Amino acid sequence: MTSSLPAFVGRRRPDWDALGALLARQRAGTLRLEDLRSLDVLYRRAAADLAHAQTFHAGTDVHRFLNQLCAQAYAVIYQPPRERWAALGAFFRHELPRTLRAHGAYVATSAGLFLLGILLGAGVVLLEPRGAELLVPENLRDSIARGEMWTDGILSVAPPNAVASAIATNNLTVTIVTFASGLLLGLGTVFVLVNNGVHLGSVAALCAREGLGPKLLDFIAAHGPVELSIIVIAGGAGLRVGQSLVDPGELPRSQALVLRGREAVKLVLGCAPFLALIALVEGFVSPGDLFSTPLKALLGLALGALFWGYLLRAGRA
Amino acid sequence: MRPSPSAHLDVATPERVSLSLPVAGLGYRCLAYLVDLLLLFFFWVVAYFLFTLLVSDVLGFFQGLSGLARTLLVVGVFATQWVYWTACEVLMDGQTPGKRLVGIRVVRADGAPVGVLECAVRNLVRLVDALPFFYAVGCLSVLFTRRHQRLGDLLAGTLLVREERIDLGKYAPASAPAPSSAPRPATPRRLTSGDTELILSFLARAPWLEPQARARLGARLVERYGGLGDAERAALLASPGDAEAFLRTCAQAER
Repeated sequence: MTSSLPAFVGRRRPDWDALGALLARQRAGTLRLEDLRSLDVLYRRAAADLAHAQTFHAGTDVHRFLNQLCAQAYAVIYQPPRERWAALGAFFRHELPRTLRAHGAYVATSAGLFLLGILLGAGVVLLEPRGAELLVPENLRDSIARGEMWTDGILSVAPPNAVASAIATNNLTVTIVTFASGLLLGLGTVFVLVNNGVHLGSVAALCAREGLGPKLLDFIAAHGPVELSIIVIAGGAGLRVGQSLVDPGELPRSQALVLRGREAVKLVLGCAPFLALIALVEGFVSPGDLFSTPLKALLGLALGALFWGYLLRAGRA
Repeated sequence: MRPSPSAHLDVATPERVSLSLPVAGLGYRCLAYLVDLLLLFFFWVVAYFLFTLLVSDVLGFFQGLSGLARTLLVVGVFATQWVYWTACEVLMDGQTPGKRLVGIRVVRADGAPVGVLECAVRNLVRLVDALPFFYAVGCLSVLFTRRHQRLGDLLAGTLLVREERIDLGKYAPASAPAPSSAPRPATPRRLTSGDTELILSFLARAPWLEPQARARLGARLVERYGGLGDAERAALLASPGDAEAFLRTCAQAER
């Protein structure tokens, strides 16, 4: 039944060329409806030829060529469904809050680690004044010692929209690193969470000791609740990823990672728009004296309550 | 199939044939990355000059725009880190310009094209793969995983496959008819497809070989597959052109 290699190629090649031309037109987006039927037929024939080549001409260039041709056609024919705007809406209405609630334990652990860091940092600075030299960066210590907030300078060097975008990208980077370092068996996320907590706690304690407490509160009241929540959620997602690596259960590690990592990623991507919004608040509202401290605190509390109310209540059956 | 020396992605299609695609390793990835890096570098050179033009404001025209320009600058830094890669892979079927030039493509682990979610994830994790410098984490991960995936690929369930440019022209019959002086293979040996492939590969490359090497290889192939008597072979090998025409008839003989 076997024909020689050149005879096989000579006989079948017109079909392959036609299929290749159709695929090129699909890529260019000029495929017409009536072409689909011939695409289907040609793909099936090429698949049959591939099976033939696998059996009788394994390891030849024809085999490699058919492999590649069938793979391209396969990718075109069995495309995953396109994400639509409706799917995006459903994601924010049901899926994101549900995913968060399903991973509540990880988010709680993440919050615990962050809090632990804050307590550690604050405790060290409050109990041992020289601890601040270890934990707080020098430029912050200098400005606190002079009795002025480093945040006062923000608006004088750049307009608010630049500040907001800088803050947004910076926060995004912190969030992504918090999440993605979960790939290092979760240890990266634990480190980032505790480290950020220590940083925040020690700076806050130093400000309180130097009598700058109200000023710090004034700065972080408006955006703090939501921003820290998002970092904690990203930490929870990172812990989830790390956990699937440490304890993959029945699955191989790589599959467990893909399966559970996908859920965790939803949390991080879902938080991105909120991060952008809160960066606007941090850039326009938080610095300066345009808004009084109680107003900022009220805004911060309201935003935080809205955010968590949405996450905990939306999408319940 | 023969055991393959390099990593492959095996896909079982609903048509009950298995596709086996070559996976791109560290070398291809680095090359594609360098090309993309070059593109981004040129982007930044242009952006830098535009930006300095805005700030120094030679024309006195952009005064009101400089705040916007700063915003664009900050957003641009972020864009080159993440948006460029994600948008390219989503819009160009899993390829960035660099990957297209090198001929590699991101696909899902089941061979399907990548969606927005996969692209977003694998490029978010770029930040961790780049730790602590020169993509050390990512490189180690590529070297030590079976399908040469970096951490971002592992999390998104994607990998990079190579696209080869294979020319089927060598199987086509020679345009010029074989010289009549070349003897027909009297009792053609039954050639396996591997043998045919060997002969045709030689014929396809013959024009670029050194004349001596070309004659030597042709003679060895004739000895191996010709099945001729001594006198016939000596006559045939007297001219290399005849030997190659003879090999071509051997390889393309219908059975």
